Amino acid sequence: MKKSIFFAFVLVSSLFFIACEKENNPSVTNSTLTSNVVKDLVADTIVGLSNGQPVGVGKYTFFSLENNTVVPSSDSNSTKWDIAFRGTSILTNAGSSGPGAGGAFVYTGTYDELKTVSPDSVFRKDSAPASFAIPFGSNRGWYVYDPVNNLITPIPGRVLVIKTAKGNFAKVEIINYYKGGTTPAPSASDDIKLKTQRFYTFRYAHQSNGTASFQ
Amino acid sequence: MWRTIFLFLFFPFQLISQVKSDSIFNNTLNEVVVTATRTPRTMGNLSIPVSLINAKTLYQSGSMRLNDILSEQTGLVITDNFGKGIQMQGLSSEYTLVLLDGEPLIGRTGGVLDLSRITIRNIRKIEIIKGPSSSLYGSEAMGGVVNIITNRAGQHTTDASMRYGRFGTIDGAINFARRYRNTDIQLATNYNRSEGYSLKPFAIQKTVEPFWKTAHQFNVNQRISERWKIGTGIRFNNSHIDNSIAVQNLGSTIVSKGFEKNQEYNITPYLQYQVDQKIKSVLRGYITGFHALQKLDVKDAYGSYNDRFNQLFARIEQQTDIHPTQLSTLTFGAGLIKEQVSSNRYDSLSTMRNNQIAYLFAQHEQVVNKRFTIIGGARFDANKAYASVLSPKLSFQYRFNQQCTFNASYGRGFKAPDFRQLYLNFTNLAAGAYSVFGTEVATSEIKRMSDAQLLEQKTDMFSKLSILKPETSGGLNIGVQYIHPKKIHFNLNLFRNDLSNMIVTDVIAFKKNGGQIYSYFNLKRALTQGAEINISKQFSKGLHIQAGYQYLYTADKDVLDAIRQGKVFQRNQSTSLVTRMALNDYGGLPFRSKHSGNIKFYYENAKGFFATARMIYRGRWGTMDLDGNGLINREDEFAKGYLQLNCSAGFQIKQSIKLMAGIDNAFNYKDILNLPGNPGRVGYVDIQFNF
Repeated sequence: MKKSIFFAFVLVSSLFFIACEKENNPSVTNSTLTSNVVKDLVADTIVGLSNGQPVGVGKYTFFSLENNTVVPSSDSNSTKWDIAFRGTSILTNAGSSGPGAGGAFVYTGTYDELKTVSPDSVFRKDSAPASFAIPFGSNRGWYVYDPVNNLITPIPGRVLVIKTAKGNFAKVEIINYYKGGTTPAPSASDDIKLKTQRFYTFRYAHQSNGTASFQ
Repeated sequence: MWRTIFLFLFFPFQLISQVKSDSIFNNTLNEVVVTATRTPRTMGNLSIPVSLINAKTLYQSGSMRLNDILSEQTGLVITDNFGKGIQMQGLSSEYTLVLLDGEPLIGRTGGVLDLSRITIRNIRKIEIIKGPSSSLYGSEAMGGVVNIITNRAGQHTTDASMRYGRFGTIDGAINFARRYRNTDIQLATNYNRSEGYSLKPFAIQKTVEPFWKTAHQFNVNQRISERWKIGTGIRFNNSHIDNSIAVQNLGSTIVSKGFEKNQEYNITPYLQYQVDQKIKSVLRGYITGFHALQKLDVKDAYGSYNDRFNQLFARIEQQTDIHPTQLSTLTFGAGLIKEQVSSNRYDSLSTMRNNQIAYLFAQHEQVVNKRFTIIGGARFDANKAYASVLSPKLSFQYRFNQQCTFNASYGRGFKAPDFRQLYLNFTNLAAGAYSVFGTEVATSEIKRMSDAQLLEQKTDMFSKLSILKPETSGGLNIGVQYIHPKKIHFNLNLFRNDLSNMIVTDVIAFKKNGGQIYSYFNLKRALTQGAEINISKQFSKGLHIQAGYQYLYTADKDVLDAIRQGKVFQRNQSTSLVTRMALNDYGGLPFRSKHSGNIKFYYENAKGFFATARMIYRGRWGTMDLDGNGLINREDEFAKGYLQLNCSAGFQIKQSIKLMAGIDNAFNYKDILNLPGNPGRVGYVDIQFNF
């Protein structure tokens, strides 16, 4: 009697275990959804000082979420890129920034929670110099600037919902702004803080079938 | 007339006679304090949390500056930001009023009144009142009041003391007090210097630069007749701090040399008229000025940097105390304040910014019966520059028996918007070209910049700019006091402070060059609550042990709401994964320690030998946000808690010479980042001559 109870217990718990595993790692993957992590994407790193202010060359780094590659800046006026980085500024391929059918908005919530783009979402388009789909400036878009420690930190719980140049949906989470994906310590020298910044680490999911689903 | 009005308004109680005084209370409880009710009261009879540090403790603790001794008190934390500030019941320095002989000290930087400005060499006692006390003292008395009492009227003393300590610290003082017939005179002078120290070796800039400070005080009191008394106090305080700043920018280092100079004076004339045993009236004047200068010669740059700040505070006040019966005391008064500030941080040094305040206050204390005493009062401050405030307070004491009393009090406190929040006109060219405008100048400055095509856009907050209201709080204190016949004294106080209309900065516009423009808003709501416990025991052989503990919870109420609504996120330090924050992830307001406490041993014998060992604990506290949510939540956002041991010992040679030596921070605890004001272990020797 005791034995059979034990077996029944083992059976039930292993079934439960299998069931759980299935839920955590969906065996069916959607072939049109790709997920990637991009590390140390250079975004106009600082080359010197101008009037006492650190400056880069001033050029954007263009990136294709569709192909997971950096796009040469000679193709900036094409639909080959989806998102572009220069310092803390991020552009999307539409409006004043490019000929694409892109756009973006900043979603508040976690990356994993964002499973579909709600149909009533409003995608903004860049309109230089006054407004951008992903607003420029500290605490407006994706980052916050700490003037005391001179550090840029991505705001947790902000996901950039992007419409690519072709009009597909993607979600992007900026994870870090510094080389190697590690923010310098607040006590680090300004020299280190300037030399290691403007290296983006971000993850994204891209849906190529035109639907608003990230599942 | 006043009397009847206030009696009618606040105290429709019956007056009952006959109360026996208790004799069991030990010395501390029989000590007289004046700050709690603005009239002399014995400690044991007060219905609000009050503590007292007497001259003996001050001397034996080997303290030099006010922050030294206050850091050893339960529930008080010394913060190190713009000088040594005091944090009381979780409220920061800007919400705590510091009085010198009953008059407010001015000259705050960033809201912080630097306690290291004040020598304790001529202090007779320090009274500390916790909880809102604006009903008596007006602005700033939100967290509580610290009153430093120097007056030594009627004494005959001449003493001179000298101390030498680590880092070339020298502290010399001379005190002189005499009574000539009907005249009391006191003179005190103090010189304090240090060579400063570096916590980081090879740094160009010392952590604390060399400084010197002087303080001179002269008091005179004259009894004109049985009824009339007149007097004044005059005090001068000076400090000079060397200043060198090294800025590194992509390999090149710019070193700037300069100094900081602060001058302060206080003049406190008064005239007292004692009508009879029942009525006393005092007319007090007060003039104080604070002048700060920061000068920096920046090498290879735009020339020298000059920052000047001048503040004047003048007040005239009349206070009358009446004892309508033996069991009641009525205190009322009125005053006028004129404040004036000029600074090149505002428009220009020549533009004087003014504020005038007129106020009335009244308080009634009634012994209802031998168990029950009640005190009620209120103060009304009418201000020119901002909205007026009414601050009431009600407290009572219930005595179960001779050992045990129960106290409860509720009071309102406020802090007037300061000149910075009203008139600041500051642009930082170095760090991101941001600007901060006070509310009174913001609209015109924005218009000017808009006309000059300098603005990118205004934010929604711009339309919300309005006349600043005072920050207000409501504070509840509930306490139990128990005295065991074997000289054990137990004290528990629970407190809760609700702050509203707190002034914070927010962005009102963006400049075309990307810089942000800030102004001030009455937006924030916060709470602090906790418990404070003190136990002390006097042993028969000259040993006295005290132990104290404070539990403190603080929070921004809007953050609590946002967390409850699931709108707040955090990023894990090792995985970089973002999760929703839960209420217990929130570390509360920055610079607050949940746990703090102390245990102190004092020993002395009849031959004049004494020794002390005081252990002070401060639990971890939040310092800065690192994961971008603007809150204290992650482990790496806290400074480590620490234990500090201070000890001292001394003896007397004959009656005239006292020798003392001590070590502060004997465990040599250091935290370069979070405790720059803590140099590590400091030894000192001290000699005092009494003539």
